[in-house]
Amino acid sequence: MTDLAELAQHLIDGHDADVARLTRDALDEGRAPAAILEQGLIAGMQVVGERFRDNIIFVPEVLVAARAMKAGLAHLEPVLAACGIEPIGTYVIGTVKGDIHDIGKNLVGMMLKGAGFRVIDLGVNTPLAKFQAAIEEHRPDIVGMSALLTTTMGQMKVNIESFRAAGLFDRLRVMVGGAAVSEDYAESIGAHAYGADAPSSVAKARSLLAELKAARA
Amino acid sequence: MNSRERMDTAMRLGVPDRVPVMCQLALGHYFLHAGLDAIEIWHGTHAFAEALVRLQQRYGFDGILINLPGRDPEWRKAVAKIETRGEERVITWKNGWYTEVPSDDNPHVYQADGTRYFPLFDEIDPDELFYVEPHDLSSITHPYSWGFSGERAEPGAAFFPPWHYDTIREVVRRVGGEVSVHGEIFSPFAQFMELLDYTSGLMALVDDPEKVKACLDRLADGAIELGRGQARAGAHAVLISSAFAGAGLISRDHYAQFVLPYERKVIDGIHAEHDIPIYTHTCGAIGDRLDLMEATHTQGIDTLDPPPLGTVDLAEAVAQTKGRMFIKGNLDPVNTVLFGSVDDVRAAARGRLEIAAPGGGYILSTACSVSPAAPPANIMVLREAAETWGRYDSTPR
Repeated sequence: MTDLAELAQHLIDGHDADVARLTRDALDEGRAPAAILEQGLIAGMQVVGERFRDNIIFVPEVLVAARAMKAGLAHLEPVLAACGIEPIGTYVIGTVKGDIHDIGKNLVGMMLKGAGFRVIDLGVNTPLAKFQAAIEEHRPDIVGMSALLTTTMGQMKVNIESFRAAGLFDRLRVMVGGAAVSEDYAESIGAHAYGADAPSSVAKARSLLAELKAARA
Repeated sequence: MNSRERMDTAMRLGVPDRVPVMCQLALGHYFLHAGLDAIEIWHGTHAFAEALVRLQQRYGFDGILINLPGRDPEWRKAVAKIETRGEERVITWKNGWYTEVPSDDNPHVYQADGTRYFPLFDEIDPDELFYVEPHDLSSITHPYSWGFSGERAEPGAAFFPPWHYDTIREVVRRVGGEVSVHGEIFSPFAQFMELLDYTSGLMALVDDPEKVKACLDRLADGAIELGRGQARAGAHAVLISSAFAGAGLISRDHYAQFVLPYERKVIDGIHAEHDIPIYTHTCGAIGDRLDLMEATHTQGIDTLDPPPLGTVDLAEAVAQTKGRMFIKGNLDPVNTVLFGSVDDVRAAARGRLEIAAPGGGYILSTACSVSPAAPPANIMVLREAAETWGRYDSTPR
């Protein structure tokens, strides 16, 4: 019987081949996909997030852990979908137009996946039209925008104003983050939340999601 | 005491007549404010030299950082066409690649299929490496070639073309008698990150640390050659750009393994032939590693981002470094210089001067680069602040 704690530990250590192998073994043994996800992959990413938050590990270690999670999810996601197991929410994420930096955006996206979100990653240099198309297609709960540069952070405001004008804020929330962005700036442009780093972004995404679900109830 | 002497005194930990002022300007700032065409500034030696001198004189800076290499005077021969697409201009090169040139930010080079080129870590043979210049006209290539020539640049003394030093020569010729002129080299770690793309580069530290170290050792050789070449061309100081070495990305342990030994090799290698100040620019959170930075043998630390951008308390940094390294920076370039008023900048500058000026070894500067859209009035007030609160002598103001 595959030890899901061992699976989690391999994920924490960034051993992608071991994570893929143990995930596949667990599925072959008939383990519940939701259990593999929660007790293996999500549990591992939870530890990674906590260690990153506490400055015990840094970006390289998080990246290899996220790569390991991706290796496990490659086996798990088709089974989860076939079982009708839904993600906790949908999150569209991208670096805004003119900006090609993606480390922060990738970290947030990976940790959101680790927290059970379905993440639609639009990549870097993302024009407003691509965000709009993704909102139309994927009906996300949250849109996250990243900008490293002072030259590109203004694009966040343009996008948010467009979302507001389109009447989207009754069904989605917007988060922003990036090196030059601050809590004050996020508030000034009408974002619903500011993500200072990947772990806090996940916490705020959960909070926004709960708020949205309460409003929908 | 002229600007050059003032800067040199401060960088050598002496006490000049007043605190010098010198900021690194984002290249987009030159595009917006130098009154010259962005394509010409980025691609042409003379236009960039002109932009550097214009803004140094406008802002009253005591020094100039030359943060682009000299350019091939024949660069236009590789151009197929230049056109405007939306808010950007696009240069299409004869090999099918293209460069998007924003009006206010660094250009980016794309392959014909719209992707940016990065070699895979597995494709890298450390022995083929020498130096990676991410600001080259064709951006990243591997094995390395300059511009769109396609000719492999062989590691060694002939790696850097003669025109590579032309901007330094021109600026030194024009203002070098009066103004401190600084060259810039990328640290081995920064080169490695730029070569692979940042995500792949960071994961490589975990995946194969010994191969990474072999790469860094080679890239240090190129950085030494470049730094020596800049000194021979007349640069009065050399800045090591080491943007990826802060706690926002890597741990102290990784710094000690992948940054410290190679930056020390570079600094010692340049100093073996040239007695010029060498200092280091590392962005973001460096408050936990000033001791490691000092161990690289750097003579000064640039940036020192204050919260929220970084983690540096200036008073603590001064206490930790006084008499051993000069300090340049600590003014918040975003929340104060970009978004603040002239009065905000003046007050922040006064605060920096009160903490760091006593005893010398301080250069008033923004922490990281001055943003493209930073109001010129917010930059000009820095010189005024240094004249008012940064004087060491009794010269009438």
